[in-house]
This record gives sequence, structure tokens and C-alpha cells, in this order.
Amino acid sequence: MRPSEDFLKQLMTKGLDGDAAAHAQLLRALLPLLRGFYRRRMAGQDADIEDLVQDTLIAVHQRRITYDVARPFTSWLFAVARYKMIDHFRTRGRSFSIEDLDEILVTEGFAERSDASADVDRLLRAIPPKQAAAIRATKIEGLSVTEAAARFALGESDIKISVHRGLKALANRVKDSLK
Amino acid sequence: MKSEDLIEALAHDVGPVRRRALSLRLTMGLIMGAVATAAAVGLVLGFRPDLWIAMQGTIFWIKWLYTGSLAICASLATVKLARPDSGSFGWLWIALLPVLCLALLSTLELASTPSSQWLAMWLGGSWKVCSRNVVLLSVPIFGGLLWSFRRLAPTRLRTAGAAAGLTAGAWAATLYCLHCPETSLIFVLTWYTLGMALAALAGAALGPRLLRW
Repeated sequence: MRPSEDFLKQLMTKGLDGDAAAHAQLLRALLPLLRGFYRRRMAGQDADIEDLVQDTLIAVHQRRITYDVARPFTSWLFAVARYKMIDHFRTRGRSFSIEDLDEILVTEGFAERSDASADVDRLLRAIPPKQAAAIRATKIEGLSVTEAAARFALGESDIKISVHRGLKALANRVKDSLK
Repeated sequence: MKSEDLIEALAHDVGPVRRRALSLRLTMGLIMGAVATAAAVGLVLGFRPDLWIAMQGTIFWIKWLYTGSLAICASLATVKLARPDSGSFGWLWIALLPVLCLALLSTLELASTPSSQWLAMWLGGSWKVCSRNVVLLSVPIFGGLLWSFRRLAPTRLRTAGAAAGLTAGAWAATLYCLHCPETSLIFVLTWYTLGMALAALAGAALGPRLLRW
């Protein structure tokens, strides 16, 4: 269970008064709290997380004179934790590898989707706009022929012909590009 | 090292911390630097020979009030920025008040003197060295503040650097008044302000590197 603000603040205040046992208890209570904080923000970087947790504990210890007892303890703590995380990314920033970036994009499914939609856009730009619009409406957005006809104020047969001709043109272009 | 062992090690070294420890530490760094700066003013530049007489006039006190009030505003901002959760800075607009007051007084001063003397008043006898001296004299104070910051936790490093730079510059300017014999307000408004602004700028440039923790 997450320790309460009051509980932590009490330990911190006692520690500031020179109570070593309370201070140790505070640091122990912060351990799971900080692990959770970094895990939520840096999934999959476990080695770095433990380093950061330790860095933050040291900072909490060494820089405790910056805590103002009139203010909430947890906002002070998380300000320290956030700073340590940003500093970590900043120093790693220069050597951030492209592989990591790929991994992130794959997990988000972003690369695939953006690649595919870029291809479709490129192909559709190569055929007359009327045909492209008809294909987009019926084949990508999933409208029925009737709905598409209503949207463009055209006849249903007009839409059908546009889609048919457009697809044929696209097929030819793809075939050409494979030759 | 395992985190549990680290905690054991840290808990061995727990002294009591006074409630005002942060302000005390900054004040200590400030005083250490200011002593060095005052020594430089006294030994290298020399106090102005008519200091005692000047202190009985108003111009000297206007100069001191100007640099001193800016120094106090900047010091308070530095104290705030030394905390990780530094809060809001709306009140800092107050620091514009001394600048506006001095601008008003300089205008009045100019209005009451013939325009043929304006240039001489503006440049004084030391415009070429004034800003530079203020910047150089701010270096020991900035160093003292850097010492203070070794136990502090700024999270906006550039802003904290600028605040520390302005603090150092404004206190340096205050001490420089003990040497500087200039008596026109437009001179102070231009060259003192320029010196303090340059110190703040240098602090902002160095902050991210020197205040990292």
C-alpha cells in the first residue's frame, strides 16, 4: 500500500530533527514508491530504473535542506525524482540509439500504419481526384455506394464506375512499378 | 550496490537540519563571495576618497537603494529556485520597480540639466570600465553561490543560473558603489544595469552546466 503523505512527512520532519531511525525508515518507504514512479514512466529499462532510484535516494538525503516543512513532502519528492529522470534522459540523449526508437515505433504500431497510409496516399495521388475520392470513401472509410453518392452529390453508378476505373488504374500502376 | 545497503549507509550520517538551513547556506556562500569582492574593491580599485562626504548626499543612497533592492529581489528568487518545487514567480515583477523608479529619476535629472551636458552625464568618466568591473566583481560572489548550491536542488537550471548571476551582479554593483565616483543617475541606469544584466546572462549560460546535480 502506498504510504500516506502525512506518514512520510512525519518521518521526514523527524529525520530533519536528527532522528536517524526515522530517516532510514523514510528512505525504505520511498524505495517502492520511487520504483513505481520510474517504472510507470520508463517501462523496460529496469537496470536504469534501479540506478535512478538510488540516485534519487542519495539526492533526498544530501539535499534535504531544500525541503520546506510548510509544504507537502510528496510534491518535493516527486520534483526531485522528475528532475533525476530528465537529467538521466538528457545525459543519455546524445547516445540514444536508433534501435530503441524502432522498438518504440513497432510497439506502438505506428511505423506500420504510417508506412501503409503513406503508400496509399502516394498511389491515390497518381489517379484522377474524382476516382481517388470515390475509392477513399468506399474502400478506406467503408461507406456504402449509396452513402458515397450522397456525400459527393453524384449518381450511384457514377461512384461505381469511378471506383472501378480507379482501382483498374491503380492496379496498372502497381503492375508497372513491379516490371 | 543494493538499494537496501545504500539506505543503511546513508542513514549513518544524519545530522539535525535547521529550518532555515537553505537560506543560511545561501547567505553563507553570498557572504564568502562578498568578502572577496569587497576586498577586491578596497585593495585593487580603492574606495573613493570622498566616500564619507558622498555618503551624506542623496545620490550615493539612490545608487545603493537601486542596486541593493535588485540584489534583495534576486537573492529571494535564488532562494526559491534552490528548491526543486520552486513555485510561481509572479511577484518578481516587483524587481522592475527599482528600474522604473531610477528611469523616472534620471529623466527628471536630465530635464533639469542643459542638453549640452547630457552626453557627459551619460558617459561619465568611467563608462568604458563600469559594466566590466561589475561583471568581474560578481565572479567571487557567483563562486560563493555555486558552493551553496552544492547542497541545494534547483530543477530549472537556466533560470536558477540567471537568478544566481543577477544576485552576484547586483551585490557586486552595490559594493562597486564604494569605489565608483559617478554621480549621474542616467550613468547608473545604463552602465550598472548593463553590468548586472551581463552577470545574469552569464549565469543563465552557465547554469545548466554548473548547477547540475
